[in-house]
This record gives sequence, structure tokens and C-alpha cells, in this order.
Amino acid sequence: MSVLQGMLSRLHLRGLLLRSTLAVVLASTLAATVAISYTAHSTSQRAHRASQTQLNELLDTIESTLAVACFAKDQTLAGEVAQGLLSNADVLAVVISSGQELLVDRHRRPAGASDASLAQQRMIYSPFDKQMQVGSIQLIPDPQLIDARIREEVWLAMLQLSWQLAMVAFAVVGIMLLFIVRPIKAMSDRLHGMDPTTGERLATPQSHLNTEIGQLVVDINALSDRLVSALATERQLRVQGEIGEKRYHTIFDNAESGLFLTTDQGALTSWNPAFTRLFAIGPQHLAKAQPELNILDLPWHDASQMSELVRQAANGSSAVSRELRIVMPNSQSSWVHIVLSGVGNKLLQGVAHDISYLKASEASARQLSVTDMLTGVANRLGLEQQLHALVQDHAASNTGGFALLIVNLDGFRQINDGVGLPAGDSILKATTARLSACIKSDDTLARLAADSFCIILSQVTQGEMVDRIAHRVLQSIRQAYFVDGSPINLHASMGIALFPNDGFDVPSLLRQAELALDSAKMAGGDTHVFFNPVLAEAAEQRRHMESDLRNAILRQEFVLFFQPIVDLRLHRIAGAEALIRWRHPTRGLVPPDSFIPLAEKTGLIVDIGLFVLEGACRQLLAWQNQGLDYTLSLNVSGRQIPQGLPPSKLQEMVQHYGISPAKLALEITEGVMLQDIDKSLEWLDAVHALGFRVYLDDFGTGYSSLSYLKRFPVDTLKVDQSFVRDMRDDSNENTLVGAIIAMGLSLGLDIVAEGVELPGHLAALQGMGCQYAQGYYFSRPVPAEEFDAAAARITALLAQPKPDSEIPSEISTG
Amino acid sequence: MKALLTTLFIVVTSLGTGSMAEPVVVVNAESSTPALSQSQVIDIFLGRYRSFPNGGAATPIDQPESSAIKADFYRRLVNKEPNDINAYWARLIFSGRTSPPLQASRSVDVPELLARHPGGVAYMERSQVDKRVRVVMEFPR
Repeated sequence: MSVLQGMLSRLHLRGLLLRSTLAVVLASTLAATVAISYTAHSTSQRAHRASQTQLNELLDTIESTLAVACFAKDQTLAGEVAQGLLSNADVLAVVISSGQELLVDRHRRPAGASDASLAQQRMIYSPFDKQMQVGSIQLIPDPQLIDARIREEVWLAMLQLSWQLAMVAFAVVGIMLLFIVRPIKAMSDRLHGMDPTTGERLATPQSHLNTEIGQLVVDINALSDRLVSALATERQLRVQGEIGEKRYHTIFDNAESGLFLTTDQGALTSWNPAFTRLFAIGPQHLAKAQPELNILDLPWHDASQMSELVRQAANGSSAVSRELRIVMPNSQSSWVHIVLSGVGNKLLQGVAHDISYLKASEASARQLSVTDMLTGVANRLGLEQQLHALVQDHAASNTGGFALLIVNLDGFRQINDGVGLPAGDSILKATTARLSACIKSDDTLARLAADSFCIILSQVTQGEMVDRIAHRVLQSIRQAYFVDGSPINLHASMGIALFPNDGFDVPSLLRQAELALDSAKMAGGDTHVFFNPVLAEAAEQRRHMESDLRNAILRQEFVLFFQPIVDLRLHRIAGAEALIRWRHPTRGLVPPDSFIPLAEKTGLIVDIGLFVLEGACRQLLAWQNQGLDYTLSLNVSGRQIPQGLPPSKLQEMVQHYGISPAKLALEITEGVMLQDIDKSLEWLDAVHALGFRVYLDDFGTGYSSLSYLKRFPVDTLKVDQSFVRDMRDDSNENTLVGAIIAMGLSLGLDIVAEGVELPGHLAALQGMGCQYAQGYYFSRPVPAEEFDAAAARITALLAQPKPDSEIPSEISTG
Repeated sequence: MKALLTTLFIVVTSLGTGSMAEPVVVVNAESSTPALSQSQVIDIFLGRYRSFPNGGAATPIDQPESSAIKADFYRRLVNKEPNDINAYWARLIFSGRTSPPLQASRSVDVPELLARHPGGVAYMERSQVDKRVRVVMEFPR
């Protein structure tokens, strides 16, 4: 046994062999037990059956004798039979009865109750009648005998079985040792020292080429191959992974954007240097034993937005982004664009961009849209936004009235044309500076249009205070501007509307301020006007007027009056100036001053102008038919040049009426010329080329310039009536009129003096060499049908003896 | 032919029957013994009970050994040959508890014996029945 133990331990396979041995022993024991149990059982049964068979055979031999004994109830004979039976060792007891009568009861020794269960009973029938039962016999076998027999047989079987099982067990153990344990041990020893990576493999044990052991060796070798191959692959992958990770680290570390990983609770697990810079994360978080850093603890302006973003990213499947503001401890503010997306495992990855520059440029663009490029103050949009804000503030708090001032430079367009755009711009900039110097920091200055500014005086409701500021503003503009060293004097008009007194909404406030401005302009400029309801009424009236004017055109309520122009040299009528009148159905005859500005403003002047043209042509045709060689001039407004009265239309009209263009003169003012010099010049050249005469009207009132006179194709100068009317012997006007006339004559122009009312005017003009005159002295403007009478009266007047060249004293006073 | 054979068989059978003796069980004419059943006769003659149903002791009397009537009687009674009957008695004689019937030396002595033994019961040919005896059992025909 100890030898076996030693062998087992040496084999390191104690378990396997011991287990299989134990299993064999156990199984053998179990099998033996079962077999012996079975043997015992079957032996017992067999013994009992044999006993019964023997008893039956015994009974068979004595049956006929017993039948006789029972039939004859012969106890002696029955006793003989019983004695005979008892001589058999198996029989323990015999009981014979005949009917109710017990014939014999014999036994070898007293039988127990249990023995009776084995009793063999047989009915005995009459020897003469097989149907007739005459008695019975009961044989009780000897159980001790049977048991002894069984024991012997079982013992023999046990002995035999034990030997067999012992043999089998030894055989199994031996076979296992030989065929399994030893080869496995050999393989195990070999495996201990084997290095598969060097190509070493197991050798198949002898005589196991085709057994399961051999297959196992093949399988182990195959497994080694696969493991070696897998190891090689894994090593390759690890090398690649290290390279990839290095690359990723480079990107991670050098990225301009902040990259980070966070849990869905906001706890940051990693971040790159850019993230550190972006959020100014202190070095205490970079140490190894860092306190946990939560993304929500970063210096957000509103951390709840970030936590909302984290929640969205954790719950949603797609990336979420938001622009968030951060405020650094040094109160420096910047904007970051955060993109968050879930990467599983309750982790979120994020990218943070610094978008402060974008935000700044956005803000700047927004600022630009409300800023006037030239002056840097608010533009109309900015002004309106500011006004809306103020109106809303007022609606919310019911405080904060303000004043709206519209400042418009008077005659700036002419200045701009005169000095050139850059100089004009510098004047506007200077004006902006002056205006902003007049207001407080919480007031607003805006530039609405070229020369139109607007001031909002906040927290101002009292007219007196506004009045004071308005004075200051206008005064500041009156200071001379210097353009290239030369002083330029300007003044401005101002319209003022007060909130909330004058209006509750922005459009009406602006309109009212503009109405007030118009009123200031109409008053001649260089003043300020507060809006009042009368202005609105006037505006309303103008609107009525406008509608009346439109109706007048449709109803042809206009008529032409004609004021004769006299040729002083030839003492005859030279022609006339056509003047329009409006025969208003309720207001009577309306003078042109009352509706022409409105007509110009509304563009109705174009239709009216065409009416005048046609009327003038018709009159010229009439005079032509009468044989009168008159010239007729008509006034052309700036609004008619160049599209309102195109040269082609003029030509078409004179051709239609069959009159010479030389008979038709077009009167324009200097102001008209100055509005758009190039276009005006083009138009003038065209009409002049067509043969029309051009008169320069109201000469001397505007910014008359000799260069214009030279550049423009002007035929005749009309000296403004204001000069003529004020002429006296010794007055400057005389000198001025004389100078104008002399200059015109020197340029080869004809001169018409307007406003001749007195004989003295006539004499003076004649003395100055002026050839043509018109005025009340000769005739008022008259309707066409009265023109002949007026002409006759003038002819008569001219025929009178020439008055003194001296201007009579009574005339000068009249 | 078939009818002839059938007729012949019936004649032979009836002749056989007619020729055979017909034993009846008798008692002394003066005996008060009532009629007996076949099984009662068996019990009495084969020594099982030796008494009549009315309580009186019965003494069976056999016809002489080797007589035809004896063989005929036992054959009819228990369907046994005389040898069987003898073997039967041989077993019982040994114990001595019972004994075989009295044996008449001659058939003609039977009525005598009946008269001598009160409770005697015997058998005889029907043809030999006279006024000294009375039939107590007949075998069914």
C-alpha cells in the first residue's frame, strides 16, 4: 500500500488514480451489494419454492392413502401417514382433519405462529367421488432448515463475487496507470519545461498515436499554435494602440479647443491644456491628489444653463450645444461654445471653443447697423430703437418723459455742392461734435439723413429747459466752420416734440418734430419751433390743400395770367411772362406762392407745368394769328428738371401748335441750377439747342456766381424785383442793379427788370442800359382776354412824353 | 345401410343392458330401515358410517368374492373394480378401526344373513328379490 502511495505521490496524480480507484471500489461494492441482495432474495425464493415443491411431492405420494384415511375417518391410518411425512427432514408438522374432525396433529417440535404462514395445505377428496371433499392436510415446513440452506448459498455467492470484483478493481487501476496516468504524466512533465513560443511542441506518447491521448496531444499542440499566434497579434495590436494613443495625446494636448470628459453629474475626469487655459483652472486641480473638479463650478455667468446642458446631453442621444458666458475672477468676461455628447457609461465628452471674438464681432455688427458710419453716432434705426425703448420704459414705470429735437442744417446742400463732399463730411462731423457737446451723457444723438440730426433729451419734460438747450445747440452751430482754412457760416432749424405731452408713439413723435422743423424752416430757418397742435392743423390743411390741388388739375381750375414785358428801347410790348393762378371754387383766386411750394413738394408741379406749357403755346399761337410778334416766358421749377419737363416734350408741344421755339422762354432760378448742376446743365443745353430761350429768374437773390453764368446757356437775366423796387438815387441798390445790368450786358445777355412800379424806376433802368422791364407800372398780370387792353394802355403810356430821369420825390416815398 | 347399422347398435345395446344383472340394495323385510340414497349406501358399504339415517346400526353384507354381482354392484356404486375395493380395504384393515362388510359364502345365503343380523343391508339381483327382503335403494337405470 505504501508503495502504491509513493508511486501516486510521485506521479502527482494522486487525485486521478485515487479517485478512479475509489470509484471502482465504490461501484464494485455497490454492485456486489446489489448482486448479493438479489442473490439472497432469489435464493430465498428458490429455497421456499423448492421446499414447497418437495412438500407437494410428498403430499402427492400420500394423497391416495390419506383419501382413504379421511374417507373412513381412520386416525390410525392418518397417523401412519403423518409419521411417514415427519420422517422427512423438511417437514416440521402435519395436521390432518376430516370434515370438522381433527384426525392427526403431529409435529417435530412446537411450531411458531410464523411457521404456519409457510404451511402447505391440500384438500383431500373421497377416493370414490372426486367431487366430494372428505378432509384436508396441512404440512408445515421447517423454516430453520430453509434459512440455513439460504445462508449457505448466499455466503458462497458473496465469496465468489468479492473475488471477481477485487480482480476487476485491480485490473482497472492497472489499466488506468498504464494507459492514462503514465502518458498524462509524461505529457505533464514535458509541458512543464516547454516554451511554445520557441516552436517546442509535445511529442505523442508511444503507442498512443490513434488514441484519445494522441488526439489530446494534437489538440494541445494546436492550442499552443493558436495561443502563440494570438500572442503575436495582441503584441502587434498593443504596439499599434500605443502609437495611436501617443497621436491622440498629441492632438489632445495641442488642440486649440478645450477638450474634456465629464460624468453625467458634471464631475470632470480629464481635460486638456486648452481647457485649463480657457477656464483659468488653477494648479491645485492639476496635482495628482486633486480635489474633484465639477464642470458646474467653473466660473459660469449662469451655471444653471450649463447644468441644463449636461442634463440634456445625458438624456439625449445626440450632441447638444450652447453658447455660454464665463466671468473670470478678474471680472473679465468671455464667451464659450460648448458641445456635449454622451459616450456611454454615464460619461460625456465635450468640446469648448472660445467664441469671444465671434461674440465681439457680432456685437460690433449689431452696433454698426444702428450707427451712422460717417459720424459714429446712432443712425435712424438706432434712434428709433432708443425711442421705442424709452417709450416702453415709460409705459412700464410711467416716468421719464423726454424731448425729441430734430436739427436740420439750413442750406447745407448748397454748401456741400459748393465746397465738395469731403469738406461737407467734415462739417457734418464737426456738427456732430458740437451737438454732442451740448447734451448730457444719457441723452442720445443721432444722424437721420445727410444734414438732419436728432437729439433725445432724456428726463426732460419742461419746455423752458428744452428751450435753453435748443438755443445752445443753434448757437453752437452758428460758430464758423473752417474748411481748408476758410470760414463757413451755417445755421440750423430745429423742430421739437415732447414726450409724452405731444405724442405717445414713436412715429407720431417723429412726425410732430418734423412738422415743427418744417415750421422752423418756413419761418426762414436758424430757429427752433416747438410742436403745437396748430402745426398739426396746418399740416392737416396742407393735406387738404394737396387733395384740392389734385382735384384742381382734374377740374382744370388753373388759369394763366400774363404780365406784359416792355421793350424800353423800342417802346413797345416785347412779350409777357405767363403766371399761373388757381381759381379755387371757395377761396377764390389763389396766388402761386400759396400752392406752388406744395405742388413742388408733392410732384403735382409736373402736371401743372404741362398745363402752363400748353396754355403758353396756345397764347403764342393766338398772338401769332393776330400778327403779334410777342415772346412768352414761363417759370420752370427745379422739380420739373429734367424728367418733369423733358426737352422732347417742349419740342413736341411747339411743333404741335406750330410756333417757333424762339418765342418761348423758360425761366429758371439760380437755386434750381444749384440742386443738381450736371443734370440741370444737360437739360439747359438740350432745350437751348432746340431753340428755346433761357431766362435766369430772380437773379441776385441766391448764391449768384459768375462762373455759372458763363457755364450755363442763359439768354436773359431777370433782375429780382426786390432790387428794383428799392432803387433810389443814392441807394446801394442802385449800384447793385447797375452792376448786375452791366455784368449781364458785358456777357451779352438781355436784361429784364422785374418789379418796375414807378416812373423813376423806369428812368433809372433806362439809364443803366436795361432794355426790358415788367411791373405794376405797366400792368399787373392779366387774363388773356384782358391782355390786348393792357397792351393798348402800355402803348399809350409809352407814347407819353418821357419823364425826368430824376426819380420824383413823391414817387420815392410812395 | 346407415339406418341398418343404427338399428343394429340400438338392438345390441338394449340386449347388453338386458343381459346385465341389475343389483338392488335390500334389507330384511321386517326391518324398519327407510329407503337409502346412493351416498348413504356408499358410506355404509365402504365403512365411513355404519348407521342408518334413523340411527340404527347398519351391517353391510357383501356377495361372495369374485361373484359377478359384487363386481357389478361396486362398479355401479363407486365405479371401482373389485381389486380397487380390495386395495381399499387392505389399507384400512391395518388400522382396525373399521372392517369390510360381512361376506356371504353364497349368494343365496344373503337373505338369511339379513334376517340374522338386525340392521343388515345387502345387495342382490333384482330377479332374486323375494318377500324376505325389501329394496331400499335402486340404481338408476
